[in-house]
This record gives sequence, C-alpha cells and structure tokens, in this order.
Amino acid sequence: MSYYDIDSILTDAEKIPCTFQLEIPELGYLDNQPGQPLKAGSKIALPLWLAEMLAIANTGGDDQAKSFVTFDLPAALSNEVVQALKADPRAVPLRDQSPHLYGLATHMMDLSEEQELGVVLRKTFVTRASEIALHARKVGGTGHNKGTADEGSNLGVGGTGEEFLRGLEEWERKLFRKAHDGAKAGKEWMENVKKR
Amino acid sequence: MPMYGDLGNKLVQHAKRTQNLTHLPPYQTELVRTVAREVRDLDKDVTSMLEPFQGSFDPSAEQATACTLLVNHLSMRRDKRCLLAYHRTRTDKLEELVWNGYDILDLSGQQQAGGANGATGMNEGGTTSSLSPQEEDYVRQYGDLLAAYKGHWTDIDLTGSLEPPRDLFIDVRVLKDAGEIQTEYGAINLTKNSQFYVRQGDVERLIAQGYLQKLG
Repeated sequence: MSYYDIDSILTDAEKIPCTFQLEIPELGYLDNQPGQPLKAGSKIALPLWLAEMLAIANTGGDDQAKSFVTFDLPAALSNEVVQALKADPRAVPLRDQSPHLYGLATHMMDLSEEQELGVVLRKTFVTRASEIALHARKVGGTGHNKGTADEGSNLGVGGTGEEFLRGLEEWERKLFRKAHDGAKAGKEWMENVKKR
Repeated sequence: MPMYGDLGNKLVQHAKRTQNLTHLPPYQTELVRTVAREVRDLDKDVTSMLEPFQGSFDPSAEQATACTLLVNHLSMRRDKRCLLAYHRTRTDKLEELVWNGYDILDLSGQQQAGGANGATGMNEGGTTSSLSPQEEDYVRQYGDLLAAYKGHWTDIDLTGSLEPPRDLFIDVRVLKDAGEIQTEYGAINLTKNSQFYVRQGDVERLIAQGYLQKLG
C-alpha cells in the first residue's frame, strides 16, 4: 500500500460509525451544526483517515487517558453480512456493502481484535477468487470447458454470472481483469504460433 | 455533510478514472486550487488557535483544543496526500505517453483531436490543452531526458515497436500532411491522401502518431 496508491486513498475515505468521548466546541460542523459545540456522545460517521488517528490518539496525561472517539464496525462488516458470507460467499454482492470491503476490513482488524472476521474473509476471498477465475476464462472465450456445463456456476444459463461480476469489489475486479487479460493474451499468442 | 477532505476525495476519483483511460482528461485547475486553499485556511486556523498559548501548549490540559488541532492536522495531511496522488497519477500517464512517442505538440493538441472524434466532448469551449502549464513543461523536459538517454545507443531504438516486422516494406496511406522525411532511398514528401511503398522502420513512428495508415 503505497502513499500514492489511489485505491488505498479511496479506501481511507470509507466511513465508520464513531462516538465522541468529550465535548469539543469547535467541531460542531462535523455533526452538521457549524458554530455549535460537538457534544460528548455524539455519533458521527467519520472517514477512516480521520477516525483511525482519533481513535488511537488519547487525551494524554494521567492514568485516566482515553481516546477522543470510540468506534463500531461499519454496516458493511456487520454481523448480518458476516453470517451471509459464512453461508455462501458467492451469493453476497460485496460491492453493495463497500467498494473497498477487504481494505476496510483490514483497517478495522488493525484497530481491534476481530479474529473471526479475518477467518471468514479469508475463506470468502479464496472461494470467490476461484469463481472469478472461472468467469474470467469464459469471457476470454477459450471455450475448453464445454463439458462441465452442469456445474452451478457455469454461465450458459441466464444472468447469474453477470450478477456475480457486478457484485465484485475493487480488489476482486482487479483480479478479474488480470485473469481475463491473461487468458486473452495467452489465446492470442497460441493463435499466432499456429499461423507461422 | 460537507467537510474537510471532501474535495480532495473528488480529485482522487478523477485520478482513478484517469488510470483506466488511454488519453489524459483535462487538468482540474479549479479543484486543485480549492484544495490548496483549504490547506491554507486550515493552517491559518491552527496558527490562530495556538496563538494564545505562546508556545506552551499542554494537550492534556486542553483536551478539546488538542482534538480540534488533531482534526485540522489530519485534514491537511489528507488534502496533501490527495493532491500529490492526483498529480503523480497524471505524470505517470504523461511519462507513459512520452515513451509511446507522443511529444508536447501531440499532447497539448490532443483535446481538439479528441473532441472531433467525440472521444472527449466534455471540455468544449474550455482551454485547448488538457495539460496544466507545469505539466507541459514536465513533458518537454522528460522528452529531452528520454532523447538524451536514447542517444547512448544509435543502433537500437528503445521506443521502437517490440513486434518483429513480417515484411521489410509496407504500403502506407498518408492521413495528414507530415512534410518531407529522409530515408535510405532518398527523400519522400508525405502529402495527404498519397500512397507509398516504404521501409517499415522508416515510418513506424509516423504510424504510431496517426500521420500514416498501414495498408494490407
């Protein structure tokens, strides 16, 4: 994750729900009330680039030091979503939850102990990645796998594949594009070899 | 809820779109200026907030102020990152275009040519160049650097095509007047709509730039 990485910057703009722990006179504008103090206990969705540091930094000094804000898991990583992913990773359109779901989850796991989330997401990615590879090859049109048409994930029937591909988040999209371009380039090369 | 950093985000979204394009969209002069102004405003706020403390600010005694300062600082840092990433994405693209044989005239004239094809119809009536003056300067100097680097090897064209030619000679049609070029077999005058049988190596660059079209 480089400093200049565009996707990393966009991931940092994802918002997570935060609760302010103390009253701050100058920050009312964050709660859409400029000119008014921001009360302790206000719940506001803050972008990661702001929330992360505010949660880590503390008021300093004595042993009663506490963070400026506490945060919860964003809706994209809520229990419901995790349960759905456990049931069938391929059935959840991740993009509707967050276009940078994995990046967001990585940040959240850096900030808090979420053992289970890591396990579920790893399984999600592996399962979806093989599905992505399958679709990528098909679009490339290599057409080697005609024999496996009875498999549930095969696209011959209706728009299920299209729907799945639309639900890919950014990282998965990149993977899809790479796999697709690779299959296509391989095919082109093979055809060129035959010509000579 | 508009807040600090929102405009920077817009810039980065522009950059994201740029990554997937083959041409360079117009430079967001106004947006860049606004983000830079936001940083200056934030800096002014920080300075005036710290003024009464005369350099002896104690964060644990003034927690609310410390938090505000932190928010301002993070917003500035965010804006900076967005600005840098936006410009970096563009210069990366420009370097790529220079390696592909475009020069400053192609790039600054790109807007009109693109508009004619309907590829970039958005910026009608705006400036003709999609580059900022600084970017034009960058391309010029980068082009000079590349030319100097290529000059080390007179028998290899570093920016030449990687594809081995099938035929030494090819038929080409001239799409735009390109003036006179020198070849091993003498000078050829490339006037629009004429056709020639020439050595591929002599005209490769002109094909890439869209002056000539390969036939057959």
